[in-house]
Amino acid sequence: MKRITLNNAVPEIFASREDLRSEIWHSEVCFERGGRYLIEAESGTGKSSLCSYLYGQRGDYRGSILFDQSDIRNFDTNAWSEIRQTSLSILFQDLRLFGELTALENVEIKNRITHFQSHATIKGWFEELGIADKMDSRIDRMSYGQQQRVALIRALCQPIDFLLLDEPISHLDDRNSDVMRDIILRETERQGAALIATSIGKHMTIDYDKRFRL
Amino acid sequence: MRLIWKLLRKHISIFELGVFFIANLIGIVVILSGVQLYADIKPLLTGEKSLIGNEYMIITKPVQRVGVNSTNFTREEVADIEQQPFTLSMGEFCSSQYEVYGSLMFQGRKLSTMMFFESVPDSFIDVESDEWHFASGQRNIPIIIPRNYLNLYNFGFSQTQDLPQITESLIRGVELTIELSGNFRHETFTGYIVGFSDRLNTILVPESFMLWANERFAPYAEQETSRLIVEVENPSDPAVLAYLEQKGYVAEDKPAESNKALFLLQVCVAIIVGIGVLFSLLSIIIFTLSIYLLLQKNIDKLENLVLIGYTPSQVARPYNMMALVLNLSIFILGVIAVGFVQQTYMGLLSDMVGYELPTSLTATIIAGVILTAIVLLFNIYIIRRKVAQISRKR
Repeated sequence: MKRITLNNAVPEIFASREDLRSEIWHSEVCFERGGRYLIEAESGTGKSSLCSYLYGQRGDYRGSILFDQSDIRNFDTNAWSEIRQTSLSILFQDLRLFGELTALENVEIKNRITHFQSHATIKGWFEELGIADKMDSRIDRMSYGQQQRVALIRALCQPIDFLLLDEPISHLDDRNSDVMRDIILRETERQGAALIATSIGKHMTIDYDKRFRL
Repeated sequence: MRLIWKLLRKHISIFELGVFFIANLIGIVVILSGVQLYADIKPLLTGEKSLIGNEYMIITKPVQRVGVNSTNFTREEVADIEQQPFTLSMGEFCSSQYEVYGSLMFQGRKLSTMMFFESVPDSFIDVESDEWHFASGQRNIPIIIPRNYLNLYNFGFSQTQDLPQITESLIRGVELTIELSGNFRHETFTGYIVGFSDRLNTILVPESFMLWANERFAPYAEQETSRLIVEVENPSDPAVLAYLEQKGYVAEDKPAESNKALFLLQVCVAIIVGIGVLFSLLSIIIFTLSIYLLLQKNIDKLENLVLIGYTPSQVARPYNMMALVLNLSIFILGVIAVGFVQQTYMGLLSDMVGYELPTSLTATIIAGVILTAIVLLFNIYIIRRKVAQISRKR
């Protein structure tokens, strides 16, 4: 996938609002592979909705969203599974980890269907992010910040054209957020992938190609 | 697979699946027992293996009115029957054309009666005896009587007349005085009973004796046939029944009875299978509810699996495996259970017919595979539907 295009897209609940000042909604927006995008938002402007639309979780929007030339409304469940295994990855704001599995198992459950990262790479990231000692702990016994890092590792266990990061560092200190940024940049650059991050204030210190106000 | 199983096995209700397992097992065992019973008994009833239905039919013309009727078969009629495709072999009854007078001394009383003899070709006789032969000049006549004559005596006559009951071996030792007369001759023979027939309802002497005696005591009488014995593959064959109907002949044997028995068997098996189907249906409903509940309880995890890239069929796989293991176990246990059931009733049946019946579970296995496949496919369909429903985007 080379390009994600939003054509006049807007959440249904905003459709009738006249006072919408947004660089995303009701606009022609294009995300190119290899780019670095930041979407800055205030609460209630539809940030999580945007991620849900782009990731195929929800379809309650007007206008259209295209992956290359294809309208994503036409994708069926299996097409989405294919995209989510080979091209589009996300770090959910609510993480969506499995509480009864360990940190490592949460990563493996993804890597097992993609076979994309080696065990050594995964282990390296755990170390880099300072949670190597928690690899075999149950995820629901870990702090939210630690869980956020595990969720990132899981998100990287697949080929990526576009990486969606929904408030990736909301619970991290500066040091850890820098480590995370380094890993993300390394991995996206290696694959030539784009990153699309959202933020309601705090964001990673990256040289973004483009910033949008939602 | 291991990881998904670890995730998804949570909330599996052992109780609900246990109830499904037991209910479906009962259902399948009942259905398969019915099918197996039908498969085992049907050939006995339809005469393929001869339990009730004989492979031999005795054909006569019906007696229309009191008096002397022409109930003899003409040569053409006999030839026609012999030519029918269902006729494997045919024999004519030959009856005595002379007077027969039999008597015996029994507990000091002389019992005597007018009687008659008939003969059929030896190949149609269902009694094995070394004494069944006659040579010209022999003064002993081997006789076969119907087994039900003895029963008639033992259970009807003897008790009312204060006479002792007698056994088959005892009656074999009894000497009968047989007086034959005709053609201005009168001779005395000794008759002795060599066996009892279930097939032929008449007093039989060897055909060789009959020919000899008819020649000797009634040389001018014309030999006519009023009864024929026909060997057929299956007396319940519609072609046989249609032929008899069309010609107005009467079969002394009981194909109609075996048809009734077959109908009764079908009704019984239908009831048994119906009950089994009911059990299986109930079990499927339990399984469906249990799966729905299970998937509902695990809905967040299922959703997340789909969101991190699992396909619906990958998500459904552990549940499908569960259904497969459950149903295969039910199938195996079911076949074993039917094996035991079959052993029990085949033992009883073998005692009834007096010889060992062959047992085979082919019918059970075929029906079992079909049933298991149906239940399993339905289970998988339910799982698939529910997972697809969860995977769809909102």
